[in-house]
Amino acid sequence: MKICMYFQVHQPMRLANFSVFANGARPLLATYFDSDLNRQIMQKVARKCYAPANRLMLELLDKHPDFRVSYSITGVFLEQCREFAPEVFESFRDLYRTGRVELLSETYYHSLSSLFQNKLEFVNQVEMHKDAMSQIGTVGRAFRNTETIFSNEIAFMAQSMGYTSILSEGLPQVLGWRSPNYVYGVAGAGKIKALLRNYQLSDDVGYRFSSKAWNEYPLTASKYASWLSHSTGDVLNIFMDYETFGEHHWEDTGIFEFLRHLPGEAARHRNLEFSTPSIVAAETEAKGDIDVPSAISWADAERDTSAWLGNDMQRECFSLLQSMEAQVKESGDGELLHAWRMLQNSDHLYYLSTKSLSDQDVHNYFSPYESPFEAYINFMNILQDFKGRLDSRMAGSPVPRMHSGN
Amino acid sequence: MRVAMLGWEFPPYNSGGLGVHCYELTRKLANLGVEIDFFMPDTGQCESCSYPNLRIIQVCKTELQPYYHYLKPQKPGARQKIKFNRVTDAAYVYNRMLEDAVSRLHGSRKYDIIHVHDWLTVQGGIGLKHRLGLPLVQTYHSTEYDRTSNPFEYIVGIEKAGLYHSDRVITVSNRTKHRLVAMGCPEYKIRVIYNGVDWEKFAKSPMLSHARQPERQGKQPYFQRKRKIVLFLGRITEQKGPVNFLLAAKRVVEKYPDVLFLIAGTGDLLPTMINLSISLGLSSNVMFLGRISEEDSRRIYAIADLYVMPSMSEPFGITALEAMSSATPIMISKTSGVSEVVRTAIKVDFWDIDAMAGKMISLLKFDTLRKAMSAHGNSEARRLTWDKTAQSTLLVYHELLGFGGQ
Repeated sequence: MKICMYFQVHQPMRLANFSVFANGARPLLATYFDSDLNRQIMQKVARKCYAPANRLMLELLDKHPDFRVSYSITGVFLEQCREFAPEVFESFRDLYRTGRVELLSETYYHSLSSLFQNKLEFVNQVEMHKDAMSQIGTVGRAFRNTETIFSNEIAFMAQSMGYTSILSEGLPQVLGWRSPNYVYGVAGAGKIKALLRNYQLSDDVGYRFSSKAWNEYPLTASKYASWLSHSTGDVLNIFMDYETFGEHHWEDTGIFEFLRHLPGEAARHRNLEFSTPSIVAAETEAKGDIDVPSAISWADAERDTSAWLGNDMQRECFSLLQSMEAQVKESGDGELLHAWRMLQNSDHLYYLSTKSLSDQDVHNYFSPYESPFEAYINFMNILQDFKGRLDSRMAGSPVPRMHSGN
Repeated sequence: MRVAMLGWEFPPYNSGGLGVHCYELTRKLANLGVEIDFFMPDTGQCESCSYPNLRIIQVCKTELQPYYHYLKPQKPGARQKIKFNRVTDAAYVYNRMLEDAVSRLHGSRKYDIIHVHDWLTVQGGIGLKHRLGLPLVQTYHSTEYDRTSNPFEYIVGIEKAGLYHSDRVITVSNRTKHRLVAMGCPEYKIRVIYNGVDWEKFAKSPMLSHARQPERQGKQPYFQRKRKIVLFLGRITEQKGPVNFLLAAKRVVEKYPDVLFLIAGTGDLLPTMINLSISLGLSSNVMFLGRISEEDSRRIYAIADLYVMPSMSEPFGITALEAMSSATPIMISKTSGVSEVVRTAIKVDFWDIDAMAGKMISLLKFDTLRKAMSAHGNSEARRLTWDKTAQSTLLVYHELLGFGGQ
């Protein structure tokens, strides 16, 4: 049985505290994004997680010739990492050079562009990501969409872009009686294979590892390896945030030690073999199709898109962003285009979720704002400022426009 | 269980949260089977009460006005001294009368607990505790430091004595708890019990929504429908932050001229405020309503688009919950007790005029935000009931009497 471990590597570009009284003298990106805060967080997480985790991974790849892992690294992360934590950037290249690390494809901006009416922007962002990743290595033929948002349509688009596999969530609503531990085809999406996250085994590490209330606490590498070995199926998809190591679970929980011993413990079970999505897709037959007409994801209890588009505030911001596409692209201004795309970070919408008002939860943990309402005020003010700049730019543009009345 | 509760005010004779608290608490405790004898001044009107476990006992007439002595004297010096003596003397006399009344009734009624509110009735409570050998509970709705920036040492002394003699001290927020600890009260005595709200009383009724279109009735021409309304409701004193409210209003009007700021309430700063509003050029944007009845306050919450409570010091701030019950979005100072319990609020630093103004503008501009805050705020207010306050208070009684105590 193949073990397919993939880690998501992302840090949002957090927004600046925007003042409605700002006079617009500062450059666009500095007005909208808080680069001091972003640097602080990147450096903090680099120290606690990325640097030690990469070091450990490299050691493990060195020591265990059969060990393989995959990463999906967002363009937004890469940009900040190269600037604020260049040593981490380098270590990702070292990891890739071992030849046993697969890099996955996604949108550069960790955006919800796959849900836009017009899919061209999505395709552009996937291409941009592929280009950006060439600084580290070549991406394989596996696609993972932002927050593993997945539907038949998205799988079909990935298939058309040449990907052989797409990653998503092993939801019981989708699978029914079937197990996530097999590879599936996708209804109406051709030959692309869906690799579905085993959320039980993934969350054992990602969420429950340090929970003393959990009846399996403490989780050791040998216990976990035996769980893996006793599972049935063709592939175990263990997907989680890379920040699991050292950030979601601090070093003193023993999370690094767990990881250090995992490949060795797994090697004691003859039926286990580490793999990556592209290899799995090439070597494993699909066991029937899954059919996902409306989008699912790995977020929140609902596992749909409601973490980002669940309330009116979120939908309003999203549709405003979407409505500006033509204008931004027409302007031919690279800075505007980049800012518009940075504003598409799904995180900005995630902070607006009001679900946390009833059940105190992860939305709060991740949010730099005191409440979703504060988050909305800041985000909407920035979007409106952006829209204002866009409008005045178009009005002052030397190119005559059809409805300008001239 | 029988409690002698020494109060000061009941609506509609109240001048603050204390009265509302006593009114609701006595009724809810009576519902829980606690027999309450509520002692209060003779208001000249019969206080009828249909609750079987609640008796209202009017002790004597008194000149005592809890906020009376904070009125600024016309000329500094002698007059203030007279008022100061009058209030403390009146309190002393009232407390002696309370002591006599409770002692007299104790023979037949056999009280289990004496419960007093603020410094106003604590002197009587202390006397009774020692005379009758009963446990003493004191609730702090505010301290002298919260009511004025020139605290009377005499009153602070009474408060400290109360903290020393009380067996349990209940207070309405963690903020006030910290203040009491700083005043020398041992932490083990203090229980934080938040105020509640009778949301149905303030719920927007279909009838009240007509208030939004008064021009049809040919009344109150200032409330034109298109003008957005921002409300301040409270005593006009330094502690409540009315000056910063006006300064923020000025900033708002610069960007967003079509706003009406309503200021309801009265106090020593009222003349200053009127002058300030004129010198800021806000005469057409600000309207002073003076002291308003409870019925009018309901009407005014209902027509406001935003309720602002910019207090420098606010032990709790029940009005914020009243506004929420009326589905009005709220902006509250971080230095308020209520900000510890509510999440559907924009929380501001009372000194940060620009941030306050910026957020007011955002709230007035973004309809989606106001709608979201109305809905969430309203359901939050419904959960903050006086029943919960009474249940927690009952727990404090049980703590003192042992849980088997009847």
